[in-house]
Amino acid sequence: MRLGIPHMGNLYIPFKALFQRLGIDYIIPPVNNQRTLSLGVRYSPEGLCIPFKLTLGNMIEAAELGADTLLMAGGTGICRLGYYANTQEQILHDLGYEVEVVQVGVSERKLFGLLEVIKRLSNNAPWPKIISAFRFGLAKLNALDKIERVVQRVRPVERIKGTANRLFAKAINAIDRADDYDTLKKVQIDYIDQLNQIDKDTQYKPLVVGITGEFYVVLEPFSNLDVESELGKLGVEVRRSTFVSEWAKFSWFLNPLGINEKDRIHKAALPYLKRDIGGDGWESVGEKVLHAKEYDGIIHLAPFTCMPEIVAQNIMPTTKEKIPVLTILCDEQIAKPGMLTRLEAFVDLLERRRRTYNNDRQ
Amino acid sequence: MIKVGIPRALLYYQYYPMWKTFFEELGAEVVISPPTTQIMLSSGSSRVVAETCLPVKVFLGHVLSLVGKCDYIFIPAIRSVKKKVYNCSKFLGLPDMTKAVIPESPSILDIDIDVNKRKRDLYQAIYQLGRHFTWNPFKVRQASIAAWQAHLSYIQLMSSHRLTPPQAIERISGTLEANPKAYSTHSTSTQGVIAIIGHPYLLYDEHVNHRLIHRLERFGYKVLTPEMLTTEGLESATARLVGSAYWTYEGEIVGAGGHYLENGADGVIGIMTFGCGPDSLMMDMVRRHAARLRATAFMSLTVEEHTAEAGVVTRLEAFVDMIQRKRRRQVKVCV
Repeated sequence: MRLGIPHMGNLYIPFKALFQRLGIDYIIPPVNNQRTLSLGVRYSPEGLCIPFKLTLGNMIEAAELGADTLLMAGGTGICRLGYYANTQEQILHDLGYEVEVVQVGVSERKLFGLLEVIKRLSNNAPWPKIISAFRFGLAKLNALDKIERVVQRVRPVERIKGTANRLFAKAINAIDRADDYDTLKKVQIDYIDQLNQIDKDTQYKPLVVGITGEFYVVLEPFSNLDVESELGKLGVEVRRSTFVSEWAKFSWFLNPLGINEKDRIHKAALPYLKRDIGGDGWESVGEKVLHAKEYDGIIHLAPFTCMPEIVAQNIMPTTKEKIPVLTILCDEQIAKPGMLTRLEAFVDLLERRRRTYNNDRQ
Repeated sequence: MIKVGIPRALLYYQYYPMWKTFFEELGAEVVISPPTTQIMLSSGSSRVVAETCLPVKVFLGHVLSLVGKCDYIFIPAIRSVKKKVYNCSKFLGLPDMTKAVIPESPSILDIDIDVNKRKRDLYQAIYQLGRHFTWNPFKVRQASIAAWQAHLSYIQLMSSHRLTPPQAIERISGTLEANPKAYSTHSTSTQGVIAIIGHPYLLYDEHVNHRLIHRLERFGYKVLTPEMLTTEGLESATARLVGSAYWTYEGEIVGAGGHYLENGADGVIGIMTFGCGPDSLMMDMVRRHAARLRATAFMSLTVEEHTAEAGVVTRLEAFVDMIQRKRRRQVKVCV
């Protein structure tokens, strides 16, 4: 058996660590690129969203490299996602790849479902070994997200644009190579230190923009044309609450104890949207309401034809809490120049709004 | 008397007799919106972002046409009517979305239907709904039992008499004699049988599908629809194709598609709208099944605001010609 996984941001690094420690034969397909997208688009039904198309492309590329088992997120009660693994398996079969797509639940039986799948794939490795490998994977995930948070803060204020991104790429590599907790810790401290020492413009007060929307397009820079770096170049600080490590912390460990980080967001959304509509639609509305005072603007990322986000997109303009929102729909047709023009216009608008707002107060 | 408006769109075709009985038992008057027109569609589209799917735009058009004609509008949020089988996000967000984009609408009666929760929650939700009309819980209970009976007999009527939802609704409300022509067309068909699959709000909204059933009947075909199969038949066909169902209304597409592709029809036409999340996956499953079987002709028609009548007609004619040619060839082989 050879295991393959589709990409979502840097998620392949923790998975790689997990598979290595358990001695699972694995293959990581090339990171998302134009070929992945073309393959995905060619073999997908036309009305599907970019997460489906990209993950299908990843699966085809993994199958080409010899993978015969593929991991994919699934589960009921969310959006269309629960149907994806089945459909992708059928498409791969029709293309002549004899692969099995294994579903990992992201809506119910989250932690134990995943651990059971890992146990099966690792040929019944003993539980202590699985748990230690799983912990190490989690540690890498946390390290990645901690560094990324610092990068988000540094990007808008660095004097030489691109320095933080270069360091981030190096850090990702170093984390990928680290194979014990000590090295990992050292890498994390070292890179956060280096990021803090970058030459910054301390006088400059960047605009703050919140990023919200659908999980996959928020986390996969290839699908959103790296909107966060582009905003950094324009001198805008990005804040987002969506991180895989956060998701894992809450939905694997804290939600079963009754602690839900999203309660606050849901409560904020209640006057406008009374119930969970699947996907991240409820959260998108809630984050707009919640952060209307804190942020200068919000960028709402959604895949084209995404059902929950369309509902959110219709409701968002009508909230009493006013804050500019730019919705960017991500699909295979999106192009960088078009997006940059929209971002520049949006940032201009936010700057003018901040100036008049400050003048009014004086 | 309190007037409750029900838009003639989306779930109207599945549940209208049930809803009507419920509200009438509680002493309210039920007002339904007129059949879809282009003006309704355009006014609905003008309220929402362009990516919103066609059925929701049609629905909003119906809500707009009811503004000023009733005291309440009934828009349920149906999450799940079967354990672990869920509905599209747009059905869940419908009451809130309507409130957001049509601020002038009469106050909205919404009810959460989710059978994955406890039974008590469902009963409480029904009582909450009835509270707008009466304080008496027994009256609400009586009304909901009567409504459920009406729903069961409606479903039974459709599958036993092979009626489409609009025909069954007409028969129930007793306006049958007013339009007897609609039923006589069935008996004159000689050319063959074509099954159409899709959600009722596409199959029976003549404005959206450009009078598809009427056109097929005029070509001389007998038209079959998903409602003419029993629920068990739909479920078993769904199970054969995809295992357990994932969507609430999966039977209408995957189940009916699977059934009619295997037997009972010379051709199957699937109707979906552009940008429909569930349909884009389900129709693909049916298409793959058709390609594997290689027995029955299959065509999927995608409609949206810009679909022109001429385009639909051309594709229908080509499809019908193909079926004719296939039949002629089969006859020759037999001779």
